Amino acid sequence: MLIELENIVKIYNQGRVNEVTALDKVEMAVEAGAMVCLKGPSGSGKSTLLAIIGCIYPPTSGRAVIAGRQLARLPDRFLTMHRRRTIGFIFQRFNILPRISVFENVVLPLLPLGMSPKERRALAEPLLERYGIAHRRNFPAGEISGGELQRVAIARALINDPPIILADEPTAHLDSRLSRDFLADMLALKEEGRTIIMASHDPLVTEAAGVDRVYGVHDGRVTKDAC
Amino acid sequence: MKKYFEKQRNLLDYALASLWRRKGKNISVFLVFSLVIFLLASFLFLSRSLQVAAQTTLRQTPEITVQRMVAGRQESMPLTYAERIRGIFGVRRVSPRVWGYHYNEVTGANITVMALAGDPELGREPLAEGAFWQQGEQGRAVIGQGVVKDLDLGGRRTFSFFRDDLTLKSFAVAGIFAPETNILTYDLVLLDIADGRDLFGLADDLATDLLVEVVNPLEIATVARKISERLPDTRVVTRPQIQGTYQAVFSWRSGVAAICLLSALSAFIILAWDKASGMSPEERREISILKILGWQTPDVLQVRFWEGFALSLLAFAAGAILAYVHVGYFQAALFRPVMMGWSVLRPGFDLVPIVQGGDLLLIFCLSVLPYLAATVVPAWRCAAVATDAAMGG
Amino acid sequence: MLVNPWSLALCLLAGLSLFLLGMASKTALRVMRSWQPASDSARQIGLEAEIWLSSTLVQYGLAFQVISLFLFVLAADHFSGMLAGAMCATGSLLANDYGLPLLAVKGTGIFLYGGWIVFHQLDISSETYPLVRFKYILLLCLLPFVVADAVLLILYLTALQPDIITSCCAIIFDAAPSGTVQNLVGGRHGQGLLLLHYGWAALLFAAGLVAWRRRQAFFYLLYGVGMLLFFGLALTTLVAEISSYIYAMPFHNCPFCMLKKEYGYFGFLLYIPLFFSVFCGVMAMVVELVKSRPGLGRRVAELQRVMVAVSLGALLLYSTLSAWHYLLYLVAGGEG
Repeated sequence: MLIELENIVKIYNQGRVNEVTALDKVEMAVEAGAMVCLKGPSGSGKSTLLAIIGCIYPPTSGRAVIAGRQLARLPDRFLTMHRRRTIGFIFQRFNILPRISVFENVVLPLLPLGMSPKERRALAEPLLERYGIAHRRNFPAGEISGGELQRVAIARALINDPPIILADEPTAHLDSRLSRDFLADMLALKEEGRTIIMASHDPLVTEAAGVDRVYGVHDGRVTKDAC
Repeated sequence: MKKYFEKQRNLLDYALASLWRRKGKNISVFLVFSLVIFLLASFLFLSRSLQVAAQTTLRQTPEITVQRMVAGRQESMPLTYAERIRGIFGVRRVSPRVWGYHYNEVTGANITVMALAGDPELGREPLAEGAFWQQGEQGRAVIGQGVVKDLDLGGRRTFSFFRDDLTLKSFAVAGIFAPETNILTYDLVLLDIADGRDLFGLADDLATDLLVEVVNPLEIATVARKISERLPDTRVVTRPQIQGTYQAVFSWRSGVAAICLLSALSAFIILAWDKASGMSPEERREISILKILGWQTPDVLQVRFWEGFALSLLAFAAGAILAYVHVGYFQAALFRPVMMGWSVLRPGFDLVPIVQGGDLLLIFCLSVLPYLAATVVPAWRCAAVATDAAMGG
Repeated sequence: MLVNPWSLALCLLAGLSLFLLGMASKTALRVMRSWQPASDSARQIGLEAEIWLSSTLVQYGLAFQVISLFLFVLAADHFSGMLAGAMCATGSLLANDYGLPLLAVKGTGIFLYGGWIVFHQLDISSETYPLVRFKYILLLCLLPFVVADAVLLILYLTALQPDIITSCCAIIFDAAPSGTVQNLVGGRHGQGLLLLHYGWAALLFAAGLVAWRRRQAFFYLLYGVGMLLFFGLALTTLVAEISSYIYAMPFHNCPFCMLKKEYGYFGFLLYIPLFFSVFCGVMAMVVELVKSRPGLGRRVAELQRVMVAVSLGALLLYSTLSAWHYLLYLVAGGEG
């Protein structure tokens, strides 16, 4: 299993009055190369689950193994080091920095790694070509179209060649044509052998071709939906 | 190692771009910081120039000056004292000097009259025209640029001074000092010692003071002590002492100025702290995105450091260059009245700004370092933004 | 002599160092009180973030300490112009009883800050942060040093009185009766000291090579202690012997003038390798202390090897450069 979650509990602000239990005894397992959906209303714990799978923070308790690494109470520094090797993120609204160029957005994850400009170009150019945004490489990201923005986000998620791609409400701000394009891109990535996890309550996503499993998330509990 | 430098370069690039993107926010910090550095640097450059100018003057000061004190006042010095000093081991030469001031009633200016025996020390300074008198020639003077103006000589090459008994003594101008030597010679009339005695009505066996040259400069203090032991009614002043006094006075003055400017600096630091603490939602989101994409907290801190360093270095360069121009081309117009008003130097010379590595380091320590120290904590607050701040509900 | 730009800059730096270390100490106290690596509480997450603040503060502290040491030497040189009998920085330092202790504190400070950063790097290289408490105790130990630095500085500067000619009294005579340059270590020691110095360096080099090959605690200890002794010996020799060959003047023994432009900043070429050599050599010994902590064994062993290698390289560089003027003198004679 590429992702194994056993008895995961996440409590925010532990020891304060605004303590919140976001995840409660979550069990989940995803094998390599699968495409999985997390379905549930906002505030259900979807994003927390995604953050734990994405090595953004460790669970409060429970056993989480992501790509062969046990995450329990790992300091931020080591989570980050693991994250940059294994996880590619595609955010809701894509979270592209609007004032820097498309190229610079795509290579952002590489800057702290000490790569030379040449190495960065060698990694980024094939992705820009593949997603048809090479001609936009020097445009400020704030000035390109929504479809292009979405492909910039995919290119950025792939720049470290991660085995796992996480997408948080990827279609929330896209029309149906762009949504379908996006899902086609994800399917292509699945066929490359990457594992895709998407959090969404958009039926277009949960019922898309290639989705192997859908998990329902409600009030911090996860259930396996039969689709 | 190579990776480390490559990473620093990438972060520096990112920091510079980010600085540029936030021009509006940074420009006020830059301007105020440049202004503070400009004031500080102007003061230090100015006091350094004055100090160097003073040292130029002192180059002409004899190694030891011996004056006779009677009842706490300076009196004329009998030449027999010179013989007694010559007997001290290590003394190379003793020469009598006559000097005083001549008050010009027309212009109200004081002219310094100095009369030296033999080959005058000042004879090494370049002349704009003419030549020094030959030894033994009488009635000839070499004068400074200021004297030419003050006496309104124009094309004339003779002038007269009143003796104390109101008889006139006239001089032919043998030469005029070059303007570069203004600091030394601006209001100076240089005469042969016999003319000096004649003008001031001094007996032939008297002088104003004695100038002593020493064989080995390291022995100045020893020789000075021996002179004062041998001639207890004299005041002995050595060149190192004068230099020390000048330096201490200038240091003290620029110290006072620096204290005033430090209050300006602290006001600026508060501004800097405030600016660095405020973080727009956009910035929060940016840092959170960077962290999700695999940036560590120290990486973000490093970017902040480079931003602050680049900004303060730019302000430093701008302030220092402006200060140089201010002192060099505008003759320190802003501070000149303050510094020169209580200055021991006469006016009428050009300030040459002198930049020493040590002074630049000093300005750096007094400006850039406090800024960096003041922005660490705010920078850390930015960098410590929760990683998931940019993730949706 | 507090009212002087140099004094002000030094005091400002001392104040900033106090501020930086004071902030870092707040973190240190909080960590000591409530560090719970297994907890997911808001407080623990806050503390983990504060580690980066404190380490950045100490790194700034190190940079400030280096600058302030340099500034202090420059300032001493500047003060010498105002003090009767002080020909150069040495004279200013000897002008009262606080000069030399202050210099020593400033120099030691660099080693302490540097040492802390090494321990910090080791700590964050292991997932359990095994040195957290250790390094924060160490940080609190640094605090008295920074306070001592500031106090000595104020004492030194207030006790320093420039000699100003006043119109009332006749003469102030130089403090140094002979008029020759003062020497920090007393008279000259002759060739014997040079021989001891280079002999010791050669032995150390051999010991270092053995430590590098055998990687045993005992040899690191031997090398580290040898290095500490060598530091004292090297500084003495620099002042008493090597300096006069650099200046080509038998009685000019100032350890600071060689940092000036007149001597081509040659001093930096000596002090920087010497400091590096001693620092790395001593650290190779000191990190042995934490070798047994969980997850650090391999890291420490690697670090020791690198440290010894850097130390040996720097030692070689220092020995060659310090001998340079002496050899020149032997080859070219007195005028070299």
